[in-house]
Amino acid sequence: MTVFTIEEVTKTFTNGEVEEQVLKGVNLSLKEGEITALVGASGSGKSTILTIAAGLQQASTGHIQFEGQDMMAMNSEQIRKIRSTEFGFVFQSSHLVPFLTVEEQLLLMLDVAEIKLTKQQKENDVTHLLKQVGMEHRKDAYPASLSGGERQRVAIARAIIHQPKILFADEPTASLDSRRSKDIMTLLRELTKTLKITTLMVTHDEEMLPYADNVITMKDGLIL
Amino acid sequence: MKLGWKEIKKSKTKFLILGSIIFLVSFLTFVISGLANGLSQDNAALIKDLPDGHFYMEKDAKDTYNLSRINDSKQNILIDTGKDAASLSIQMGFLNDKEDKQHSVAFVTSTKSGLFEEVQEGEVILDSSLKDEGIKKGDILKNNQFSGDFTVKGFVEQKKYSHAPVAYINMENYKEIYRISDMQLVFVPGKEKMQTVKDLKAYSNKEFLNTIPSYSVEQLSLNMIIWFLIVISGMLFAIFFYMMNVQKIGLYGILKAIGVKTITLFSMMWSQMLLITTVSLILSITLSQLFNTIAPKGMPFSLPLTTTIQLSFLFLVIGFIGATLSGLQIKKVEPLQAIQQGEV
Repeated sequence: MTVFTIEEVTKTFTNGEVEEQVLKGVNLSLKEGEITALVGASGSGKSTILTIAAGLQQASTGHIQFEGQDMMAMNSEQIRKIRSTEFGFVFQSSHLVPFLTVEEQLLLMLDVAEIKLTKQQKENDVTHLLKQVGMEHRKDAYPASLSGGERQRVAIARAIIHQPKILFADEPTASLDSRRSKDIMTLLRELTKTLKITTLMVTHDEEMLPYADNVITMKDGLIL
Repeated sequence: MKLGWKEIKKSKTKFLILGSIIFLVSFLTFVISGLANGLSQDNAALIKDLPDGHFYMEKDAKDTYNLSRINDSKQNILIDTGKDAASLSIQMGFLNDKEDKQHSVAFVTSTKSGLFEEVQEGEVILDSSLKDEGIKKGDILKNNQFSGDFTVKGFVEQKKYSHAPVAYINMENYKEIYRISDMQLVFVPGKEKMQTVKDLKAYSNKEFLNTIPSYSVEQLSLNMIIWFLIVISGMLFAIFFYMMNVQKIGLYGILKAIGVKTITLFSMMWSQMLLITTVSLILSITLSQLFNTIAPKGMPFSLPLTTTIQLSFLFLVIGFIGATLSGLQIKKVEPLQAIQQGEV
């Protein structure tokens, strides 16, 4: 079942009098529970389409439908609400909150998503997920004391703790070595399949492609 | 609130430095305020302790009560209008004790009124600070302009004028010392509308205080320092929070990206500001009140708790404004920009 569609999306950046069209009419649809990988050379527009889809910036023209709702017609508060409840994010860098422990990072996300659970239930959910990502033993650690791979595991856990419908992952393994990258991708695939989370992932690493259900290649602002 | 507290716990040094500065600035403000208030009492307690009302002075005196001369008939017009209304005169002078040591005093005389001490001829009632100079009840004091002696009838607490202790004397004795029969001022207590008397000008208590040159200049300087410190503390808040916010732009962007509301980020900053300021102010209030009780007796220092509470409230308001102004950049943070910046 298609949960997310992008139709004829364009994006033009204006720098002084110079206009640059980085997306030239992109069409894309994401099916429930599938991992879609966006690949392409630097400057092809793959990160731009991911951030537009995630509601982090606006398209110049086109249509973006999420579960039948037109995201282009939503105001910033409606988009924020969707980002906090329906979307999850994994970035190139883990972007964890430096003054929160591993456990608190996940509890914060549950609060942001306004998940109606008791404190105990929330703590149980967090412990369960940390166990799944192999970080339960570091639940009281701060980000500064974690390795790059550990941070990315926590970032993945934070991105899915509130069980979003769509996970946006922008180069999630870019800051990791080959072995750790494979570990992270295995984990990401396992979790998204178990929880039926639809994933849109940008990557430049061809070794990550076998973990995706669909691979879409972009070039010069168009899908090939 | 939770986020703000967690950041404080994790970055203790940063917030301790900010708290220490707020503590030092507020403590300095309280001490200077205590000094201003103490000097104000030392300069004009005689006037400040009077109830609200109106002072009347001769128009030709041009706001200088020393030059004012109000004759009996004009005095009576005003005195008859209100209970406790009195005509009075104040002059700086000296009293010599039995060892011929000179004590600077402000001679005050008045017509019969519950607001001023009633003294018989040849008697004097002194401000209690003269006890510290060795003067006791029953002592005989002299003035070289006065033919007789003054017997110390008693003492009153905290009655000063122009940094000198007040000496209440009988009007007849005053007239002999200063060779003048008219009085300088008439005071009519009460909040009723001032009366119009030909050739006389009316002043509220505050207006009259400001005609005393040493009082207005002294208070103006001290109040300027107090306000300057309050403004500095507001700027400190703005600068500190601005610097902290600049450091955290990436973090704010990520929090916004995952759906944290802008108001939540503001609340985080406000709760930090409120906590740091409150703790710093409680410490400042405690220390300044302690200083108020142990300050040397001769030191003109008076810091009522209400003054510190009013100033503390002002600090909180200024801190809030400073932090909020610096926090306006939070509103402008773009999540995308923060994500592209890399690790926070």
